Amino acid sequence: MDELDLLKKDWKKQDDSFQKLSYDEIYKMIHKKSSTIVKWIFIICILEFLFWGFVNLLIPDSYFEIYEKLHLKTLLNISYIIHYIVVVGFIYLFYKNYNAICVIDSTSLLMKKIIRTRKTVNYYVYYNIIVTIILSIIINFMMFSDTDLLVEVFNPKHLALADDKLFNILLIAQIIGFVVMIGFLLLYYRIIYGILLKKLNKNFKELEILE
Amino acid sequence: MNETKIVTKDLEHKFISEFQENQNIIHKVCRIYTNNQEAHNDLFQEITIQLWKAYPKFRGDSKLSTWMYRIGLNTAITLYRKSKRSVITQDFDSVLHRIQSSDYDNTEEEQLKLMYKAIHQLSDIDKALIFLYLEDKNYKEISETIGISEVNARVKMNRIKTRLRTILNP
Repeated sequence: MDELDLLKKDWKKQDDSFQKLSYDEIYKMIHKKSSTIVKWIFIICILEFLFWGFVNLLIPDSYFEIYEKLHLKTLLNISYIIHYIVVVGFIYLFYKNYNAICVIDSTSLLMKKIIRTRKTVNYYVYYNIIVTIILSIIINFMMFSDTDLLVEVFNPKHLALADDKLFNILLIAQIIGFVVMIGFLLLYYRIIYGILLKKLNKNFKELEILE
Repeated sequence: MNETKIVTKDLEHKFISEFQENQNIIHKVCRIYTNNQEAHNDLFQEITIQLWKAYPKFRGDSKLSTWMYRIGLNTAITLYRKSKRSVITQDFDSVLHRIQSSDYDNTEEEQLKLMYKAIHQLSDIDKALIFLYLEDKNYKEISETIGISEVNARVKMNRIKTRLRTILNP
């Protein structure tokens, strides 16, 4: 007999070999908390939304004084208004996609929906990074284009420090800060989503080949 | 408020009774996707929770068993995250304990052991296909559950069968 037929025959015989659960055991089970990939993605995404929100709130007022002196306040205010409109849009899309996830869909469709939900938040993160980069470039450009004003703002007491030295220190500090931030973000996403989505991505790719 | 509570209790009772009767479907999903008792129980619990969460939306336009196959496989393939406790072990004997006492001869027993071992080496998607095949599902149902075309399900299934045979007869 072919091995597969043998397996099929054995497969049908196994019904009595399971430890059957009683009514009470099932009752207890359905009141336990689930821990699925979707749930984790949801939690992490909410934390990401909150994180980027808090980053903006955490910036102390004194920071804005510097920008005011550098004549950048209006630019920043406008960018904040646009930013919050975009964030609300992202949160709406995220909820729409998350609610569409349905366990009764076919496996392939379910995976697509989960990946779409995740992508929405990925775009949100890309958006934040890109906006940060663009704003940094604009601000730095404006700051460093007016050296006298820059020295005035960052060295108001005219400490014994050569102006070009101050200029270099500020520039290097900005670049290091920038590189560290991008590096940290890349590492974070590699770790969090690398672990969380590894299995899902692998299975999704396998199904994609079949379609 | 009180009325909703009663409705929920009724639904809960209905679910548990129906689930209890059909629980073998989920045990079988767990048998394909896990290879020790602890992992089996873990996955079983997660699938049960998912079934209960989806139950209020179950309209009865499909068979309860079909609905359970879908949620069971979706949970195993897509949603489930292995807990730290269930490290992969080579505990195949627990899968085969029933064979010892039955009327198989040694060669058949050996072949089955190898067969289950081979199945555990398959990918998650392949496991789903072979599971539905063992459950005597037709290609239409298989393709609808997984979400691929019938032709592709057929092609894929033939490939899995060939693969299993080569694993067994190298």
